[in-house]
Amino acid sequence: MSNTRKKVLMFGWEFPPVISGGLGVATLGLCKALAPMADVQMVIPKSVPDFSIPHISLIGLNSFTQQELDILFTSENSFYRKHYHQNQHWDINPYTKIPEGEYIHQKFFSVFQEQVKPFEIDDLYAGDVIKKVIEFARIAVQFGLTQEFDIIHAHDWMTFLPAMELKRRTGKPLVLHVHSTEYDRSGPESKNWVYDLEQQGMQEADFIIPVSRYTGKICHTHYGIPTHKIKPVHNGIEAIKPMVRPKPFKEKLVIFFGRITMQKGPSFFVEAARIVLQQYPNVRFVLAGSGDQMYGLIEKIADYGLGDKFSFTGFLNKQKLNELLAIADVYCMPSVSEPFGLSAVEAVQYQLPTLISTTSGAAEVLNGALQFEFWDTHKFAQYIIASLQYEGLKNSVVESNAKSLQSITWEHCAAEVIKVYEELEPLN
Amino acid sequence: MPSICFYFQVHQPYRLRDYSFFDIGSNHNYYDDLKNKEVLDKVAERCYLPTNQLMLELIEKHNGQFKISYSISGVALEQFATWRPDVLQSFINLANTGCVEFIAETYYHSLAYIFSKEEFKKQVEAHGKLIEKYFNQKPRVFRNTELQYNNELAAYIEDLGYEGIICEGVDRHLGDRTPNFLYKAPNANTIKSLLKNYKLSDDIAFRFSNQEWHEWPLMADKFASWVHGIAGHGETINLFMDYETFGEHQWAHSGIFEFMRHLPEQVLQHSDFSFKTVSETIDAYPVRDTYDCHELTSWADTERDLSAWIGNPMQDEAIAKIYALEKQVYESKDEKLIDDWKKMLTSDHYYYMTTKFWADGDVHKYFSPYDSPYDAYIYFMNALSDLKIRLELKGEAQKS
Repeated sequence: MSNTRKKVLMFGWEFPPVISGGLGVATLGLCKALAPMADVQMVIPKSVPDFSIPHISLIGLNSFTQQELDILFTSENSFYRKHYHQNQHWDINPYTKIPEGEYIHQKFFSVFQEQVKPFEIDDLYAGDVIKKVIEFARIAVQFGLTQEFDIIHAHDWMTFLPAMELKRRTGKPLVLHVHSTEYDRSGPESKNWVYDLEQQGMQEADFIIPVSRYTGKICHTHYGIPTHKIKPVHNGIEAIKPMVRPKPFKEKLVIFFGRITMQKGPSFFVEAARIVLQQYPNVRFVLAGSGDQMYGLIEKIADYGLGDKFSFTGFLNKQKLNELLAIADVYCMPSVSEPFGLSAVEAVQYQLPTLISTTSGAAEVLNGALQFEFWDTHKFAQYIIASLQYEGLKNSVVESNAKSLQSITWEHCAAEVIKVYEELEPLN
Repeated sequence: MPSICFYFQVHQPYRLRDYSFFDIGSNHNYYDDLKNKEVLDKVAERCYLPTNQLMLELIEKHNGQFKISYSISGVALEQFATWRPDVLQSFINLANTGCVEFIAETYYHSLAYIFSKEEFKKQVEAHGKLIEKYFNQKPRVFRNTELQYNNELAAYIEDLGYEGIICEGVDRHLGDRTPNFLYKAPNANTIKSLLKNYKLSDDIAFRFSNQEWHEWPLMADKFASWVHGIAGHGETINLFMDYETFGEHQWAHSGIFEFMRHLPEQVLQHSDFSFKTVSETIDAYPVRDTYDCHELTSWADTERDLSAWIGNPMQDEAIAKIYALEKQVYESKDEKLIDDWKKMLTSDHYYYMTTKFWADGDVHKYFSPYDSPYDAYIYFMNALSDLKIRLELKGEAQKS
């Protein structure tokens, strides 16, 4: 397969401008950088008419009209009935409970029974996501069958269903890009339908591209995937010109941003802050983001009597995030499990000293970052104090990170992905 | 010869806007002017103007036999003067009838009595001046924010020169006695306590439009017959309620205005009965017994305590931190700063932070301009941070 320009059929979920986290940013960055080297068709749930990217063909399933769908589905045969309704071909445990109190196989059944309707989705992660994922798969597969391509490349579990199905039906090689796993999001105890789907996908894939060696290790140890199939490729980042803004107060500012969930370790940030404030009261802390741990942490901070030292900003858009980075003095990412951690790299672009947990992909690429075990709040606090106090330490962290930054590019990432494509054996 | 004592609470806080972290140190405007004006307009149209008009008509119709009392917070009066002078004028018109009395309270509808007696005194004084300015009356009766009350407060208020004080008639302190007499705190000498008859007050304020209630629909003649039934074992029936009962909590189509329109004539059909303002009530009747209320009570929620304003960590921290600034704020001698600080003492800010029933989504949520008590806390603390920065800058400027 080498030396020819590959045709890649890609499946994504978040995609700009419809994004809520790092996945959308990463998918776009990779797509853009791949464009000079491969023909990429990107299938996503939702596209916006006035958003396009040069050399990338963007297909939003929401743009298919009923008429177009009817044409697509004239060729839909009894495949689904045979394979899904009777749960024969399907290894995923059909009795896995999902939160809504239904069984997954009932969802499959109802989605495939129904007359196909134009795909509608407002919020990618609200409501019955699993049902949306199945509806997405149903249409995406039919669309895929009408296209010409050499490789199937899917980003995260939401898109694994159509990718696996197309591999089965066309014999084309399958590459799964793993930006985050259920292990990261819900911890090692979670063995649910999403986990099952991820594992099934990884087993059927020819190659898995985790966004870090750290995540690759999870694919191996937690999902039981042989290491020869795992090809870690680090994300890149687009170069920016950092915003400049005067700080409207005198105190030093220490920031955390990301979802306020167990995975991101915000409670360790709070505990470390408490230790810091005992010694250095003239520091402010910001928790930017939202999530299910937010209310509990607000109460905890009030209980500690630190409410005037802490600010919760809620979810920040890009502009506000830049405003925050522009006035920050230290960036913290105490994630319990962080596949990559694009935000840490964004902080590096602002020349902030970065304090990150060892359980993160960013720790592999940011050579200067101060690293700690996420639970070690004393060490974490000492790093905050040291970064604020010792210019020498701060400067060496910043300089070393700046060097690392030079190789964290999407071009580099895309070149690595192309190498993975080239290792694929032609199957037909 | 029993009488009815109607007293209505009128209050609007300066709600804080969604004051974010990004405003700290750079934007010193804490208020949601748009929202505050919007609420005021809405309540003016639905409640203040039509109810004031009705009260005026009733006073005229009954030749001075229908009398009522109001407590209007200083921050409400300020906002009337700024945005709705017509509402202010309608209250002045009522004052001019001679049948309407205005009650003393804290200017900022604050919890200052609990957290700073000094500030409390200043606010009561400032409120008294405002009442005199607009209504040409010197209040003789006091009521604390949301009827917060205990023995100690009664004696304290007596020392400030007031002759009466308003409170909730709380069952656990009244026992099997009726609220329909005047009482006295055990430690007070002369000040008389007027206890709210919560049963009859809440029939109007809360249950009026409740179709599940076995007395629904409540008509003026039925209510008057309940009032008349008190003859012989009571002297004053204290009907205390939020003024927004009329047209806002009980919507116009519930018939609340018609009810009120006919109530005076129904009550006065019994020639022994009359209406009295709060001062007239304390002048007319002697103290009949001691009302011993050591704990702080209020008219809020079923607990009738202070748990709607204080007690959760967010409320406790916000209150502790804002009151801690008192000395520094006054030392700044910066009027705008002092005013901003005082506006943040308004009790509503802490009420919005309550998590008591947040999960069930009830009355607290309905009255909150924010999405959650956590948001209320965040905006308040952000504004507080900014206030502290201003104080520091002021302090540095004063030193140099």
